[in-house]
Amino acid sequence: MSFASLLDIELKKIRRSKIFMLLFVAVVILWLPAILNTNYSFETDAAIGIASEYNFLVQGFLALAWFMYPASMVVSTVLLKQLERTNKGMLKMLALPISSAKLCLTKFFILLLLAGLQLLLNFGVYYAGAALVSQRFAYNFLLPPLFVLKETGLLFLAAIPMLAFFWLLAVTIQTPIFSIGVGLASIVPSILMINTKYWLFYPMSYPFYLMTAEYCKLAANLGSAEMPLIPWLPIAIGITVSCLILACLRFGQAERNC
Amino acid sequence: MSLGLEWQKIKRTGVLWTFLGGGILAAVVPVINLAARSEMYLRLQDSPVDILFKGNWQLMALLNILLLVLGACVLYHIEYADNGQLKMCSLPIKESTLFFSKLGLMTGLCLVSLSLEALGMAFCLSHWFNLSQSLCLELLKYFAYAFLLLLPGGMLALILSAFCKNLWVSLGCGVIGVCAAILIPTDNFILNLFPFALPFQVLTLNTEQAVCYLLASLGEVAFMALMFLGLLKIRRTLA
Repeated sequence: MSFASLLDIELKKIRRSKIFMLLFVAVVILWLPAILNTNYSFETDAAIGIASEYNFLVQGFLALAWFMYPASMVVSTVLLKQLERTNKGMLKMLALPISSAKLCLTKFFILLLLAGLQLLLNFGVYYAGAALVSQRFAYNFLLPPLFVLKETGLLFLAAIPMLAFFWLLAVTIQTPIFSIGVGLASIVPSILMINTKYWLFYPMSYPFYLMTAEYCKLAANLGSAEMPLIPWLPIAIGITVSCLILACLRFGQAERNC
Repeated sequence: MSLGLEWQKIKRTGVLWTFLGGGILAAVVPVINLAARSEMYLRLQDSPVDILFKGNWQLMALLNILLLVLGACVLYHIEYADNGQLKMCSLPIKESTLFFSKLGLMTGLCLVSLSLEALGMAFCLSHWFNLSQSLCLELLKYFAYAFLLLLPGGMLALILSAFCKNLWVSLGCGVIGVCAAILIPTDNFILNLFPFALPFQVLTLNTEQAVCYLLASLGEVAFMALMFLGLLKIRRTLA
C-alpha cells in the first residue's frame, strides 16, 4: 500500500471528527481580544521601537506559540489515538499486511497536516482581524503576505520536534489521562524554560522561543534573543528522529501483548 | 452510594494519580521559584502569603484548571467509551445524580491537589519566612478562596464533558476555554467572571472585589447546575 493511499484512508477517518471546527474556533478565540481591544496603545509600540502592525502580528503569534498551538496539538494526538481505540480499530490495523512503522508515520504525517491547517487558519484569521482593526483605527495593520507566511512557516518548522514528542507520548502511554496530562503539563513550563540555557533540550519551548527571537528582532529596544542554528538544528533533528523511531517501535505494542 | 460507585470507577483510569501528580507539580512551582530567586522575593514588604501568591499563582492556577478540564473529560469518557452511560441510564438512578456524584468526586480530588499545593507553600513559608500560626490561618484563607473560585471552572468542564461524546471534543472545548481565560486581561472585572478565568484571581486586600468574585462564583455554580438540569431535559426530549 502506498503512503498516499494510507494518507487518504487516515484523512477519511478524521472527516467527521469535528477537529477542523475545534482548530478554527481556537484561532478565532486567539485573535478576538486583539480585535476587540478598543484602546490600542501606539505609544507603547513607539517606546519599545516596533511598528504597530508588526506588534499586532507578533503578540497574536506569541499567544499562539505559547499555549494555543501546543495545546491544540495535544488535542489532535488524542483524536488520532482515540479513533483507533473505539471498536478495536488498532487490532484491525495491525492485522493488515502493512508495516506498523509505516502506519505510525502516516498518523504522524496527519498530525503535521493538522498543525499546518491550524497555522493556515491562523493566517486567514490574522488578516481578517488586521483588516477590521485597520478600519477602526485608520491605520494600516496589514503586513505583506510573504512576511506573514514566512513567520507561519518558521513556526511550523520549529514545532516539528514538539509534535514528534507529543506523538511519542500518545503512542507509548496507554492511559489517556497520563499522555494528555504529561503533554499539557509540559507546555506550561516552556515560558520558564526559554529564560534558561536549557531551552535547547526542551522541544515544547521551541515555537515560543522562535517567536520571542522574532519579536526581539523586530523591536529595536527589546534586547536580543537569538535562535542559533548550530547547535539548535542538530539537537532538534536528533530529538525528532529519536522520538519518531521510538514511536514506530512502540506503535501497537500494547495491543500485540494483549 | 453513587459517590462510592464513582470512586470505584476511577480505579484504573489514573485520575487519582493525575490529581496527585498535578498537585505535586503545582506545589513545586513556588519552591523552585523561591529557591531560584529568593532575594527578589525576600526584599518585598508585603505579607509572605501575598508574596507567594502574587509570584506563583498564575502558573499554579493554570495547572489547576487544566487538571480540572482533564479530570472532567476522563470522568465522562469512561461512561461513553463502552456505552457505560446507557447502562447507567437503565439503572433506577437519575442522570443528574450521576453528574452530581462526578462533581462531588472531582471536588474531593481538587481538594487533595489544593492541599498538596498548600503544603508546598507552607514549606516555602517555613523555609524562607517565619511560619507562624497567623500565617497558617492566612494561607488557609487564601486556599479556601482559591478553592471556591475553582468550582465554576470545574463545573463548566464537567458539563462540556457530559454533552460531548468524544474525548477530543470535550478536551478541545476545555482547552479553548482555558486559552480564552489566559488571554483575558486580569484587571477587567466582567470578563474575569468567565468560569475558566475565575481561578486566576488571588484574594486581595480589596475585600469588596473579593466578595464580589466569591458571590459571582457561587452564583455561577447555582446557575450552571440549573442550566445542566434544563439541558438534560432538552436532550432527553430530543433523543
